[in-house]
Amino acid sequence: MRSPLPPPPPRFRAPLRAGPSAARWRWGGGGMQRAVGSLPLGPALRARLAAAGFQTAQELLDTGPCGLSREIGISKEEALEALQVVRQECSGDAARTAGGAGTTRKCTALELLEEEQAQGFIITFCSALDNILGGGVQLTKITEVCGAPGVGKTQLCMQLAVDVQIPECFGGVCGEAVFIDTEGSFMVDRVVDIAAACVQHCRLIAEAHQEEDHQKALETFSLESILSHIYYFRCRDYIELLAQVYLLPDFLSEHSKVRLVVIDGIAFPFRHDFEDLSLRTRLLNGLAQQLIIIANDHKSAVVLTNQMTTRIGQSQSTLVPALGESWGHAATVRLIFHWDKSQRLATLYKSPSQKESTIPYTITPHGFRDVQPPAVTQNTESTEMNPRKRPRREEEK
Amino acid sequence: MVVLRAGLCPGLTEEMIQVLRANSVRTVVDFVSSDLEDVSQKCSLSYKALVAVRRVLLAQFSAFPANGADLYEELKSSTAILPTGSPSLDQLLDSGLYTGEVTELMGAPGSGKTQVCLSIAASVSLGLKQHVLFLDSTGGFTASRLYQMLQAQAEDEEEQAVGDTALSQLEALQRIQVARVFDVYEMLSALQEVRDRLSQQAVSCTGPLKTVVIDSVSAVIHPLLGGRQSEGLAIMMQLARELKMLAKEFSLAVVVTNQVTRDSSTGLLKPALGRSWSFVPSTRVLLESKGAAWEEATTRRSASLAKSPRQPTGMQVELDIGNSDVQEPSPATPTEGL
Repeated sequence: MRSPLPPPPPRFRAPLRAGPSAARWRWGGGGMQRAVGSLPLGPALRARLAAAGFQTAQELLDTGPCGLSREIGISKEEALEALQVVRQECSGDAARTAGGAGTTRKCTALELLEEEQAQGFIITFCSALDNILGGGVQLTKITEVCGAPGVGKTQLCMQLAVDVQIPECFGGVCGEAVFIDTEGSFMVDRVVDIAAACVQHCRLIAEAHQEEDHQKALETFSLESILSHIYYFRCRDYIELLAQVYLLPDFLSEHSKVRLVVIDGIAFPFRHDFEDLSLRTRLLNGLAQQLIIIANDHKSAVVLTNQMTTRIGQSQSTLVPALGESWGHAATVRLIFHWDKSQRLATLYKSPSQKESTIPYTITPHGFRDVQPPAVTQNTESTEMNPRKRPRREEEK
Repeated sequence: MVVLRAGLCPGLTEEMIQVLRANSVRTVVDFVSSDLEDVSQKCSLSYKALVAVRRVLLAQFSAFPANGADLYEELKSSTAILPTGSPSLDQLLDSGLYTGEVTELMGAPGSGKTQVCLSIAASVSLGLKQHVLFLDSTGGFTASRLYQMLQAQAEDEEEQAVGDTALSQLEALQRIQVARVFDVYEMLSALQEVRDRLSQQAVSCTGPLKTVVIDSVSAVIHPLLGGRQSEGLAIMMQLARELKMLAKEFSLAVVVTNQVTRDSSTGLLKPALGRSWSFVPSTRVLLESKGAAWEEATTRRSASLAKSPRQPTGMQVELDIGNSDVQEPSPATPTEGL
């Protein structure tokens, strides 16, 4: 014998938008309304919480560790850990909502514009390349250099490792460099040549200008100091590379003057001996995210070199950067170095602020240079130094 | 699946809950779907009390059906169409970005997704004077390029004097909030924060927020997908739910960018994040470069409609992202670089 159906529930003026009304009556209130699924907990724990009916972070915190361990059947220590994670996430949210300005990574576009205009570039000593890059290699961005073997990628990396240390009065960023080598192509003698040429160049400028801070900077800017500020790591396979990148933030917080991280040969450890391609894609994407976090948090430029591979199309085959399509999205700026008969060319293929263009360059005993060598030393300030710095020096005169 | 708790509704006391739990009635769903006679006999609780509790729970937790005509009226008053800053792209999207929907831009690297996102942010902020939230997960947001676009768009308007335009550009820049989120949990908490602010209607710093641009959503989810664990899919769906809820509840226009990957079997390009994600955005636009390979450097792009609730798919327009803003390609394109 069934009882009569209960009368229909009283209708009150509900909003017409039919959302998930379970969450509706709890609207308003800080980050406590985070859904359980969006908290960084382990998948097994999340499944148990969902099965027990927990929906928001507030419910978890209300239950407390003893109640939680009883309801979902985990140990008290695990429950305590989980609640700590939840509390951290939610207090982070609440601080962000209440604080207004927010965490370090959130700001208005105007503030970012001011930051960018005050930021320096790492010049490459090839003024054409600096021009198409908008001033040089940008800090806080990942730049990828792809090219066939022998076209000059490692030369550019070594040049940048020296150029990042140029003092600010000469137009540099005065930072240190981390060089992660996976192919073993780092030649110290070559770096010595490049560094010597750079020091000589700066010395000529200082002589031409005869200024106080130039002389002072030159005292610290010598061959020994340049070499001692390049931190070199050798990684032999992809696990070492991943571990090195994982440990890099700690290293960078100790050496806060680092402004450049070079990974020479990111393709090499991932291309040979890798059967599982989906694992490779996942690892590479995770690596890309870690690198962009490093670039952003420590205000340094990350430069990667990549190899080229042939893609066989229907009618012809083209030369494309290696590591697949999804890796193409990892780098913010992409440069492709290639040959045109006997001339080396650099093409800017991907950039958020510059047009695509191609310029010629050359490799001299002094390093990476323009095709036309600088005419006389008096003109070096106009052709090779960062044009942005010129007005300041003219004012000081 | 809400757990029964004391105080959830009047008449639901702690002892009642304990007794119910002992008989494996833990959540609201269990309670409402169980046979109340059985429950009252097993738990020796008053039948009338249980019926009253059920009535209140149903009133609180059920969804109300809405009249189609009322829904239409509400949509007419709350939906807005935002210009993207490029007339040909607006034409492709049936006059612009619709609020209450998620629009997706996909393309190969270098195809111009970030440029179009910047153009959208500039046009909404400058033209409509409304706030934009830009979630950047790739590090591709360049404020100087945005400033260039604002300057070009302000020149197109030709409304105000020179001094005013400079000020209006700076104000436009201030209306664009940029958050750098490189992790999916950070993105989720940023979206949660937006939700909290909007639901509390704090007009202080956000102002009338109408657009959320996320560049790109696949960069944070891709590292989690694949393999044998389905956790990546769960997080992706959680993010999808957040985006759709934001769009629908607060009438925002949500723009996301996605990558393309190569299909291993056919060799053709397909959007990343798989089939499950393809149901999330209502409109999908594919951006392609006009040049065949990277040897031909060009600023021309073609945008084609891959999925739309309003327009026929396969519509294609041409864009030029090389100029100071995104517009149609003109025959005499001035080559201003920096």
